[in-house]
Amino acid sequence: MTSIIGREIKLEDGAPKVQGQLKFGSDLVLHGQLYARLVTSPHAHALVTAIDTTGATKLEGVHSVITAVDLPDIAPASRSMLLLAKDRVRFVGHPVALVLAESEAIAQDAADQVLVNYEPQPHVTGLEATLALNAAPVWPEGLPGASAEAAAHGAVGGGDSGGAEASPNVAGDSTFERGNLEQGFAEADHIIECTYRTAGVHQSYIEPHATLVEIGPTGDEATVWTATQGTFFVRDAVAAVLSMEASSVRVVGTPVGGGFGAKFCLYEPLLALAAKVSGRPVSMTMNRMEEMITATPAPATRVKVKLGAKRTGEMTALDAELVMDCGCFPGSMSILGPMLMGSNYQCPNQRVQGVEVLTNSPSTGAYRAPAAPQCAFAIESAIDEMARALDLDPLEFRAANASKPGDKMAMGNPWPVMGLVEVLDAMRNHPMWRDREQARAQGRGIGIAIGGWPGGIEPAAAACSLQGDGVLQIQISSVDLTGTRTTFQQIAAETFGIEPDQIRIISGDTQSGPFAGSTGGSKITYTVGPAIMEAVAEVKQQVLELASGVLEADAEDLEIKDGAVQVKGAPQSAIPLAKLARKTMSYGSTHKPLYGQGRNAQPGQAPGFCGQLAEVSVDQDTGEVTVHKLLLIQDVGKAINPLLVRGQMQGGAMQGLGWALYEELSTNEDGQTVTATLSDYALPHIAHLPTEFVMETVEVPAPTGPFGAKGVGEPPVIATAAAVANAVADAVGARVRSLPLSPPRVLAAGREN
Amino acid sequence: MKPCSFEYVKAESLEHALAVLVEHGDEAKILAGGQSLVPAMNFRLAQPAVLVDLNGVGALSGIERVDGMVQVGAMTRQRSAERSSVLSAHVPLVTETMPFIAHAQIRNRGTFGGSIAHADPSAELPAISVALSATLQVTSSRGSRSIAASDFYVDLLTTALEADEILVRVDLPIAVPGSGFAFAEVSRRHGDYALVGVAASVQCDASGVCQQARVSLLSVGPGPVLSTSCAAALIGERPTTRTIADAAAATASDDIDPEGDIHASARFRRHLARVLVERTLTRAFARAAVSAGAAEQA
Repeated sequence: MTSIIGREIKLEDGAPKVQGQLKFGSDLVLHGQLYARLVTSPHAHALVTAIDTTGATKLEGVHSVITAVDLPDIAPASRSMLLLAKDRVRFVGHPVALVLAESEAIAQDAADQVLVNYEPQPHVTGLEATLALNAAPVWPEGLPGASAEAAAHGAVGGGDSGGAEASPNVAGDSTFERGNLEQGFAEADHIIECTYRTAGVHQSYIEPHATLVEIGPTGDEATVWTATQGTFFVRDAVAAVLSMEASSVRVVGTPVGGGFGAKFCLYEPLLALAAKVSGRPVSMTMNRMEEMITATPAPATRVKVKLGAKRTGEMTALDAELVMDCGCFPGSMSILGPMLMGSNYQCPNQRVQGVEVLTNSPSTGAYRAPAAPQCAFAIESAIDEMARALDLDPLEFRAANASKPGDKMAMGNPWPVMGLVEVLDAMRNHPMWRDREQARAQGRGIGIAIGGWPGGIEPAAAACSLQGDGVLQIQISSVDLTGTRTTFQQIAAETFGIEPDQIRIISGDTQSGPFAGSTGGSKITYTVGPAIMEAVAEVKQQVLELASGVLEADAEDLEIKDGAVQVKGAPQSAIPLAKLARKTMSYGSTHKPLYGQGRNAQPGQAPGFCGQLAEVSVDQDTGEVTVHKLLLIQDVGKAINPLLVRGQMQGGAMQGLGWALYEELSTNEDGQTVTATLSDYALPHIAHLPTEFVMETVEVPAPTGPFGAKGVGEPPVIATAAAVANAVADAVGARVRSLPLSPPRVLAAGREN
Repeated sequence: MKPCSFEYVKAESLEHALAVLVEHGDEAKILAGGQSLVPAMNFRLAQPAVLVDLNGVGALSGIERVDGMVQVGAMTRQRSAERSSVLSAHVPLVTETMPFIAHAQIRNRGTFGGSIAHADPSAELPAISVALSATLQVTSSRGSRSIAASDFYVDLLTTALEADEILVRVDLPIAVPGSGFAFAEVSRRHGDYALVGVAASVQCDASGVCQQARVSLLSVGPGPVLSTSCAAALIGERPTTRTIADAAAATASDDIDPEGDIHASARFRRHLARVLVERTLTRAFARAAVSAGAAEQA
């Protein structure tokens, strides 16, 4: 048998997805269920003085209209605990009431008839406005507690808080320093000092949030079917609002039609309470406009960068401040941001700071490599500007300062094994970089950038059993977003010595399966994979021992081949696995079932880097940018399934093109999201695929990763926008320091030049 | 989202549809391809009480050359117009413009007349109907009449159609020797509503003197805007790089009154209008010269 690791196997659930056969959350229907629709605030900040539900409840088919008075008084310490506004709304889209009806259409009719009296209050939107010392406070009565959701994506710890006088809306401030900045800038031959901005963008998963909740007949158990990246995370949140033990709540993850960080927990607690209050199962599927207005997009940012370097290409000082508009709740990224800005390059003197500010806008959340595309856009643009100013080769300038394993990250801790240098080496040798002068001769611009992601860790367990038909069944509870079930088939098959089609992956719910962390942070293969290997290895050992008795041979002299156990090199001795398994599953048998368990807690993270090269042309009369070529070179540790790895890289880079050129959440001065449909909010289309879209990998094995694998989901989205911006600057000499690089911005930058 | 409830009538004939309109007046709305109306209903921005579906009225579809015209039935799918050899031979501006309309899936369903009657200021077909001097044939139970495209667009999403009238056919004059055309637009993404679009239709005599210059812009006003500056600056002249640039500049500064929105400021739209008028006129006159030359050789 050839190695299964590195084999290109198609997604196990790919065909049913494209054929429309897979059942998503909104396809589920329970007998007697009610359909919910939200009534949301049209004001950015207002007092709720009265809610009149009489017209709505009179409609035929309406069960009830739930408002805050029907719910327990829970401090809204995070967005998913905001439930329904009690007396104050804090953003346009803030839920005020929930209508329950016999059909979705009736619920919508009724929602349109719920009358709410608002008393508008001063509000603040936009990053600059909320930084003002006299900004209207988003939480005049104080921010309620720390955010539990915030921890879900936190990849780092520690950090200091700045002590300067600040706006009432500064919710987080972390700074990491080393060396002597003043001295570092004094040593510099050149200093770049620029401000970069990125627009708020939406994760824009195809499937909207869909949740169904049923309370058990005795009232002390609940089942939640929901499209979430973290079933155990939802379980704890729902149990908290229902005042139940976590183990009494069963969360069943439905197939996630795109999550990208936005599907942790949103309306599950509210819908669980609605099911409890109404005594009926309650289902809600959001529509696109609600997703754009009331969900949790990625924050708009402003990054001020001051960078000093010597003519020889040595960075001497970096002072970078990231400010994130987190909407009405802090988003946990004030520490992640500085780590991302101040770790990829070794600069002896630096101060990197992350500031979170609040506004009367929807709270923001994680989006594939949270904060990283924004930080990379700023840092990688500034590095490019420096290289240009000092006439240094932009790749060699990066390589000269690139971090290596053991070098210090921003917080002072050492980098674990990582492959930034290897990625840069591969870029240097790539024809698209080597032949850049030919592209330039055609009037095109070439830009490069790198992006790194620290990688997440969270414990996970797995169980394995050999079935009577010879199939090896693996039980896990991690949510599959990116094909991990297929990858796990390969990992299990390789470990056991059978073909992947003899592996069945069973995804459990929070009661039937072993624990696994949420799917986020590029960590499922890295953390669940080794647990599966351990469980499979245990079963393999049990199988060999069982066969040893039957074949009257030492277990060490046996091998698994072609779905059977045999004495090494003696196929005539083979006993099929199925036959062995059945010996452990028959009446009167004295053999124990073949069942193994695996547990894993990674000792450390496995960072992943992705370098990107963009080749663009710019219409200098209209400001339109065309990306002709895009190259990604990523360190993936080990590509267990190169097909799926390339798919992730392509998906990340396409989203990166959205960051670069198209996507921008816009709010008017009243706090209304005016990009509330996918007509006004511009996602990249398949037509925007670059003509040459090249994915290449390098493999610097992660020491404790399964077969050396590390996370691949997040790195490929990070550097795209910076690479495109650097290519635009190369093409027309115009530096656009705001994302997206829309035609008006590119044109304006060209004029300034 | 779900639309408000409404009554649905599948018209069996044009007469049937007209009778329903008489009965319900303003409360009724015609369903053609539904590519604008149905989303508006789902967002509850449109809440018609009665929907009259013309999709079963086969007589309203088809493309035919009749005398000096190409007649396009109002219910002709946009995709059929895009692929029509009659149109590409005789009204090539239509063929050049069709791919800019949304996406192929939408054009499969969207209708030629539906887009014209909907009169979205960012739509391509209203603009080219004006550039081409199309004649719009409309019918009601009271009788039929013809409306020049330039008189059809009254205001934002408002046309000269009365509540009981239906647009049944669009008559497009066929291109004559010495004529040239071009279409261009800039949008955030291909298929999006254009930030600015320009349709140019010109005609020169054998000596290269411009006889006609109809330049129609979209997304710069409440409806398609016909440039008076282009006609004034170019007719009777031999077009040069300079006169074309001047005509484009005058169009952008004098003829249009674009509004700014989240995608583009009014100023940026004026800039794009200048660039695109210049580009389309340059291309249109180049084609006119080729066409005139070909006619001479023949």
